Amino acid sequence: MTLPPTADIVIIGAGIAGLGAARELEARGAGRIVVVERDYPGAGATGRNVARIRRMQLTEELSRVAMACQDKYERMGGELGSNVLFYRLGYAWILYEQDEVERMRDVVAMHERLGIRSALLSPDETLHHLPVFTGGDPVAGSVLSDDAIVHHDAVVWAHLDHLGSSVSVHPHTNVTSIERDGSRVRAVVTDRGRIEAPIVLNATDGWSTQVNAMADVRMPNRPRRREVLVTAPLRRTIEAAVTFYRPAEGWFNQTLRGEVVMGAVDPDEPVGVNQGSSWAFLRRTAELMTRKAPALRDVTVIRQWAGMYDITPDHQPIVGPTTQLEGWWQAVGWSGRGMLLAPFLTELLAEHLVSGKAPEMLRMFLPDRFSPTTEAEGGQADYYARYSPGGASASG
Amino acid sequence: MCDTGQCGWCECEVDGRPSVRSCQVPVRDGLVVRSEHAWPSADRDLLGLLDAGSRLVPPTFYHHRFLRPRRLRQRYLDVIRGFGGRGRLPVTRPSKARSRVARDLEVGVLVVGAGRSGLAAAEDAAGRGARVMLLEPVPGRARPRHPDIRFLEGAAAVGWYDGVVTAIDDSTLWSIRADAVIAATGTYERIPTVRGADRPGVMGARRLVDLVERHQVLSGERALLVGDASDLEAAAGVLREAGADVVERVPTPSLRRVLGRREVTGAVVIDDDGAARRLDVDLVVVGDRTPNLDLVLAAGAAVQWRDGVLVPVLDETGRSSVPALSVVGSATGHGKHAAPMVAAARALVCFCEDVHADEIRAQVSGGYGDPELVKRRTGALTGPCQGKYCLQAFCAVLADAAGADAITAGSMQGAPTTARPPLRPIRLGDLVATEETVEA
Repeated sequence: MTLPPTADIVIIGAGIAGLGAARELEARGAGRIVVVERDYPGAGATGRNVARIRRMQLTEELSRVAMACQDKYERMGGELGSNVLFYRLGYAWILYEQDEVERMRDVVAMHERLGIRSALLSPDETLHHLPVFTGGDPVAGSVLSDDAIVHHDAVVWAHLDHLGSSVSVHPHTNVTSIERDGSRVRAVVTDRGRIEAPIVLNATDGWSTQVNAMADVRMPNRPRRREVLVTAPLRRTIEAAVTFYRPAEGWFNQTLRGEVVMGAVDPDEPVGVNQGSSWAFLRRTAELMTRKAPALRDVTVIRQWAGMYDITPDHQPIVGPTTQLEGWWQAVGWSGRGMLLAPFLTELLAEHLVSGKAPEMLRMFLPDRFSPTTEAEGGQADYYARYSPGGASASG
Repeated sequence: MCDTGQCGWCECEVDGRPSVRSCQVPVRDGLVVRSEHAWPSADRDLLGLLDAGSRLVPPTFYHHRFLRPRRLRQRYLDVIRGFGGRGRLPVTRPSKARSRVARDLEVGVLVVGAGRSGLAAAEDAAGRGARVMLLEPVPGRARPRHPDIRFLEGAAAVGWYDGVVTAIDDSTLWSIRADAVIAATGTYERIPTVRGADRPGVMGARRLVDLVERHQVLSGERALLVGDASDLEAAAGVLREAGADVVERVPTPSLRRVLGRREVTGAVVIDDDGAARRLDVDLVVVGDRTPNLDLVLAAGAAVQWRDGVLVPVLDETGRSSVPALSVVGSATGHGKHAAPMVAAARALVCFCEDVHADEIRAQVSGGYGDPELVKRRTGALTGPCQGKYCLQAFCAVLADAAGADAITAGSMQGAPTTARPPLRPIRLGDLVATEETVEA
């Protein structure tokens, strides 16, 4: 497929953010949309995650956004006519310290106010619901909800199959430079041709710093690798997607195919684009998981892979236009929550682009909350440290 | 099928542990082995009905289904989830932790595989004064003569991570940094892409010889030999000696179908004049082999489609596109190799995930012909063997449907799909080391 010389909107990146935006913009009659993708659709973080669609968040503001995001996924299959395998697997934060448990009482109360079904479980109740932790490090409790998973690839195909004639998707098309016309964006130059467009959306997440640099736009998000391992499929055993943050961050869950996916996070992972796998990750994950859940000694690792978290200083995505360059829009910096947030937030982005007015819920994600001199994301701070007790603030 | 722990099609629950490759477990009194794939039992397997209905449930069966009525969506997926998975995790009876050592070391030359070529490469490098390490997963297969070769017997290479080769044996997790790595990894059997090739009774010639000579096991009495590899001569000899009939030997393209529902009960071959003949056999022995590309792909070295086989791209000295990695012996794909095959529509390509040739072709015609997308949409290459036994057939179907360029055209690495370590399945518990050592 040849690249057209002009378009109304060029979207860079055919992951969930780019495809979600294409769908929402097309639905609003935004004109001719061209999506360019350096690899195949879903090749970046979109195809390299475990697609947990979680409403329960640590703050009220984020939980409200996440509720809208999960609703969007529940409707997605029907709206797009393709099954995205939305499945309420359940979700659990496993707690190992008493102060975490105390803290979660407030969080669970906040969930209840919002209508999110979560519960604080005692150690015994936790082991009863998740016997895989039997014999492991003693748990102090857990927070369990009825949150969901989807199949990330199915989400990509549902979007691709649904897109109409005003959108064309060009895989294996690499952006090499961005042309500016003073304070406006003018064209996207690729290795397969140049496209002139008044509006360009950077939806490249892990690669967004590079793409922003081509347009001379400065943002403080930076990519970091996250690794995953996959086991041979097992019968239905683990009845929730599990995460623990302290004292070391790790997570696992079973897919619908029965594989266990898991990962232990390296707090010292350096900044940079890296989708390679490491031996250190396998060893780190094996050590952590078999200590928490000794039964996992008997699972068999058959595959590992890695994707990227594009992390912002406040760990919230960057969605919308910027005063740094007219016509330059962004849907990047997803900080590991792109699958959850992107379909809904790109709907808000499309609304903003078409109406000229930012919807209320999009405000906290607008790019201009950062100035060009905002210091780049420094490190992987303690997860909880970013949230004030009681969940009143989301940006602190 | 492979008898080397690589294909994964023999996975059973052994003594309560799931997904054990039973071909690697010596039989002893009191061993409890249970089938994981059958229900209620392997002898009376009602799940076998799924085979008969496989046309109705292609890999993409769910894409536009199970959406209505909306309130049943979760139930549909509960049912699908119920069919997923195989082994049962012994949640409250975990295996005992094993104590292992992690060793990091540096050598001059690392040779992976102690077959004829690997052994020769190791002897040669040691003779030139290099510090040589030789890895061989199969115990008792070889014995290097040069006294300075460090020989790790029973150690399987499991990965290539930024130039470091990792390996695992009974007691140690090895991380080996070498100035030069020589892959002498040999070949894998190529299962003919015809209907019925997944039935018990289809096996590789070397495995047949091995089973008879080492274990005195012969699983049939009337054999059809397929292919023109020299291994088949040895297989024929062993069969005759054991009192079995060699019914016939045919070139690979002549085999059209293997018959039998639960095991091989016959085969259909095509003669030169085009006439089909049914043979009364209970054993189909295949001789074709294709290069083992595991280490090459893991290192990110380029491969190419040549004469119907995926082979590494090598210079005249055997060096791959990754300068530290060379390939020797049959892993290069040079010399005599398998005859190209065009898969029949309903031939199984990916045995692990039950993907047929026509299902791969449907992806190409549906606009999803990028190998990475074919892989994700069909599940081919993602099962227990991780593509070891289907990558070649997968590429053959793709080349036939979309042209040979399609195999690597979309790739950013010069390979059909991104390689995913580890090269062999590893128990999570076996990755835990209780002691670390670094050798100078």
